[in-house]
Formats: sequence, C-alpha cells, structure tokens
Amino acid sequence: MTKPTSDLLLQSRREVETRKQRIASFVLRQDFILFIIFIVMVGVFSAINPRFFSVAAAANILQDFSPVVLMATGQTFVIASRGIDLSVGSTLGLSGVTMALVIRTLNAAGLNPIATIVLGLAAALVVGGLIGLANGLLISYVRIVPFVATLATMGAAAGTSLVITGGVQIAGAPRAVILIGNVSYFGMLTAPVIVVLFILFIAWASLSRTRFGRWTYAIGSNLFAARAAGINVEKHLVKLYMLSGILSALAGAFVYFRLGSGSPLSGRGGELSAIAAAVIGGISLQGGVGRLTGATLGALITTAVLSGLILIGVAPNWQQIVVAMLIAVAVGVQGFGRGGRPGEQ
Amino acid sequence: MKSYPDSTPALAIARRIFVRQTAVFSTGALIGIVLGLQPLDSVADNIKTIAFIPGIASDPFFKAMELGARSKAKELGINLMWQGSASDYSPQTQMPFVDAALASRVDAMILVPTDPDSLQAAVTRAEALKIPVITVDTTVTDQSYLTSHITGDNVDGGQKAAQTLAAQIGGAGKVFIMSGSPAATTNTLREKGFREEIAKYPKIEIVGREYANSQPATATSAINTALLKFPDLAGIFAITGTSGTGAVAALRNANRVGQVKLVGYDAYKVEVDALKEGVFTALIAQQPAKEAELALQYSYDKLLGKDVDTIKKTVVIPNIIITKDNLAETEKFMYVE
Repeated sequence: MTKPTSDLLLQSRREVETRKQRIASFVLRQDFILFIIFIVMVGVFSAINPRFFSVAAAANILQDFSPVVLMATGQTFVIASRGIDLSVGSTLGLSGVTMALVIRTLNAAGLNPIATIVLGLAAALVVGGLIGLANGLLISYVRIVPFVATLATMGAAAGTSLVITGGVQIAGAPRAVILIGNVSYFGMLTAPVIVVLFILFIAWASLSRTRFGRWTYAIGSNLFAARAAGINVEKHLVKLYMLSGILSALAGAFVYFRLGSGSPLSGRGGELSAIAAAVIGGISLQGGVGRLTGATLGALITTAVLSGLILIGVAPNWQQIVVAMLIAVAVGVQGFGRGGRPGEQ
Repeated sequence: MKSYPDSTPALAIARRIFVRQTAVFSTGALIGIVLGLQPLDSVADNIKTIAFIPGIASDPFFKAMELGARSKAKELGINLMWQGSASDYSPQTQMPFVDAALASRVDAMILVPTDPDSLQAAVTRAEALKIPVITVDTTVTDQSYLTSHITGDNVDGGQKAAQTLAAQIGGAGKVFIMSGSPAATTNTLREKGFREEIAKYPKIEIVGREYANSQPATATSAINTALLKFPDLAGIFAITGTSGTGAVAALRNANRVGQVKLVGYDAYKVEVDALKEGVFTALIAQQPAKEAELALQYSYDKLLGKDVDTIKKTVVIPNIIITKDNLAETEKFMYVE
C-alpha cells in the first residue's frame, strides 16, 4: 500500500536536512523561542516578587490559562486550515449559561448531583457542537468566508445568551459543582484542569500525528491540491469548526465550575485572546503552518503575564499595553526567525 | 461578486439569492425596529407613552428597574417603551435609543445617562421638543431642565460599605477594591465614597484596585492574585454584582471564606444566596424598582398637570445594608428577577 503523497514529501524533506540545519531549525522554532521567553518572564517576575514562583501562583495561572488554551486549540485547527473562528468567545458564554440553566432546573427538581452535572455538561457540548456545525455549514456549503460566517454566529450566540438568561447570572448549582471546581491536588491541579491537560495532549497528538491533522494542514496550505488528493474538504471543514465549537463549550464548562454560576457576558473578547495565543504560538493566518505546542505556550505566556503584572503592581491601564507589546515582540521574533521579507508569512 | 473557480452556476445563483435575501431581511429588520419604537396607541390622547432608556438592558440592576417600571406603568395605564443597549454601557450605544425615542415624539422620557456630558445634548433636544425628562440613577451635568432626578446615592453606598467593612475587620488591616469599569460613574462614585470613609481609619490600608469589566472570571483572577500578594488581606469591597460573583469564586478557590470579609453591592439573588452561605459578609442594596416607580409617577403627574407641587427636583433613595443578622427585615430588598 503506497503512502499518501503528503507523507512521502515530509519524509524526503527530512532526509535532505543536515544535522547542523536540524539544530538550527529547532532553535529557531517558534515554540522553543516562546519557551525561552516564558522562562525569562517567570525569572523576571519572580525576582521582583518571589510570590510569583509559588504553587499558589501556578494554580491561579492554570485556572486562567485553561479556558484560553481550549479556545486557542480549536483556533489552531481552524486557522491551520486557513480559516478563522470568531465565535469562540460567545460559544463559551452561551454554553456556560446553558449548562447553568440546565443544572439549576434539574437541581431544583431534585435530581442527584452527578446526573445533574453530567446532563448540564452534555447540554453545553451540544450547544458548542451546534454552533460549530452552523459555522461549518455556512462556510462549506453556503460558501460564506469564515470571518463573516463566524462573526454572524458570534453575534447570534451572544444575543441568545442574553435572551435566555434575561441578563442575570444563573446560580443554583449543587455543592458538587463548587467542590469539583475548587478541590485541588498537589496544590494546583483541580479536576477540570487535569481534564484540560488531557484534552490538550489528545489534540496535540491529533494535529501532529494523525491523518486528521495532516488533512487540516493540507487544506490550509493548498486547497486545490488537497481536493485533488481526494480529501473531502467540505466535510473536513465542518468537522474542524465543530471541534472548535466543542472545545469552546468545554471552556464554558470550565468557567462554570470555577465560578459556580453562569454569566451571560462571560467569554466576550475570548476570541481575541484565543487568536492572539495562536498567532504568538506561530500559527500563520494564511494556514498550513503552526504547532499546537506554540499555541499552548502562547496562551500560557499571555495569561501568566497578566497575573505577573498584577503581582508586581503594574496599574491596570498599563496591562493592556504590555500585553500588546508582548504580542508584537513574539510575532516579530517569529518573522525574524523565518527570515522572510516584511509581510511574508 | 468574486467567483470561485470550482463553483457551479447553481451555486452562483444561490449566492445571489442569499445576498438579496440578506438585504431584504436587514431592511425589513430596520423598518421593524423603527416601527417597533413607535408608540402604539398614539391615537388615544389620554394614553401617554413614556420612553425609559436604561444604561444597559441586560444588567440585573436594570432588570429589576424594568420590572418596577412595568408594574407601575400597568397601574397608571401608561404605554411604556423600554429600550436600551443590550450589552454595552456606553454613550455611543445609548444615543440611538434616545434619538429614536425623541424622533417618535414620546410624551416623556426617563433616562439613565451613561455619561453626564454626552447625553446633555439629548436633554437639550428634548427641551426643544417640550418633552419632560427625568434622570434615574445617573444624571447629566446641567439639570435645570429636568423634571426630577432620582437616584440611589453611590457615594453614600461606598461610605456605608467602608463603615461596614471596617467594623467587620476590627478597624485594622488590608483591604482590596474590586471595581467594574473605570468609566462608569456609579463605580467611580462608590469607590470615592469608600476611599473617603476608609481614610478615617488610619489602621486600614487599601492595597489595590482592579477592574473586572463585567466579567466575573476577571474578578476571580485579580482577587486570587491579590490574595497571593497579600496573604493577610482582611477585606474586599466588590463594587459591582459581577465583581462580587468573581470575588465569591476566588474566596472559595483560596479557601478563605469567612476569613476575608467581603462587602458587595446590589442585592441580586446570587449575591443574597452567597450572603446566606456566609461568603458575602454584607451587601449594599439600592432600590431600583422604587426609583423606576417614582420616576413613572412623577412623569405621569407632570404630563397630567396634577400634584405638580409634590414633584421633588432631586430624590435620593437610601441604600440598605443587608447582613446575615438583619436578613429577616432586609431580604425583601433583594432585586426581583
């Protein structure tokens, strides 16, 4: 059985590289550079305020990092296929409040906590999947460009959140929700965080080691060649956007467990954090390039830096500027490392 | 229209139809919105139409205000037009609603100005149209034309919060302020009142202030970090409801419920529940429904020209401090949802 063309191409490229070239290309890899930046950042913050280098600080950062990295993961898959998903923030919000409403209703009806939580979670995932499905169908079959299609679903989801909650926060969760969100192991891992790390690993394996991931990159780098190679592009894109929707729903569930209630305005602006994390991580908006490790580090750096800035006492108004500068630096290093002309990806 | 090389003629036609349908739908929606903003029974002269424009339609404080407004409107037989920005508290998003109300010549306007200067022009235009205006909660810079201004006192609320928190932490210690938005006057006034009052306690130090921007998760992060930075933090003042929710989660996260005293603002149900559990140690409640009811009553009286002497130029509705101890008497001040 002959290997698929994409595999053969990758194989031949690896054989041609010399050892020196391989070391050089590893060091210049976006995620390696980001890792160094992260270490340096932790060092600087810890030097100014030693409390930054503590289990408690790590716990806080993990809590902020988890929803962002989930959305960034979905975004990585989507952007790698040369698309974009602007609806992730609103999907986070809508799935969170849906989960809150379902759990509140079932809890009031007396259903046992485990079943309540499972059903609430299922409702959240269904909402995320449906929004992703809508995105996929709009993009693949109605042929609306991803930016516009996901912009529309973003607005629809945000509006629906406000309508079904009436603008109020939804509480009424059983004690179990608060326990799940707050009981931590080793001082920093709560059950939801462990689940998120597990999902990250599976997503990484999927994008870098499976056919599903390779097809994603193929569609992103050369749509016509991908189609010519026999990939059903429409079906694959639908799956990608559904994946993004489900990951955003999981992010919404995470925030629900953390807060113990669903807020209709949760997740607003989340899409920008997710895209920033992915872009910092080396994902090219043109598609076809980018590793999940990069996006993970991008999410880690952006969430850790906010926590660090508060700890070292930087005024809130300056925090946004610092984060923006960080994005510029990280992306600038990426462009430098690639050695391309300005504007070239 | 850009054509895709792999599309069929059928798809191209379908796309054109889609575009046309979208155009028709949007125009229809626009017409619908404008028509919807027209007063309904404008035929009958004795049914007054009053526009009530909140700062933001989705906030529970304004939801409670809406419920009060609607019940009063029903009682007085007024046609109430409740319209406001769904999710943004800003002058830019509020102006279109004000413009639409004035354009449809409502009989009176009740307004929650999102900015004291930006909405001044709207009040001037209302004056030219001889439409009475009442401001609720916040107000404009020049109040001379206003029939009345009804508000809870945010500065007083901040002061009461400070007094309560100071008493609860024993008059000494570090406190943290969790605010909502740096631009909202309600937030800045409460913070001002809090700081003025805390200045009277030399042993209490305000160690920081962060903004949540209506996102509980942001508040949780900020407070978790504050607890990390100041392990001996004694008290927190959460200026808005969403900041309060975030603070509750943070205290539970860090296992400091009860150790760190938390005073919140506004009595939403989630907050009152948290108060009963002991996470909040006090809540400063306003009376949004009462503000709305009084505003409607005054508008009605002004329009009908009766009892005009009873209309007061400024009304300050007192804040209520709700604690676990006085819950029996104060629970009724919880905002209706």
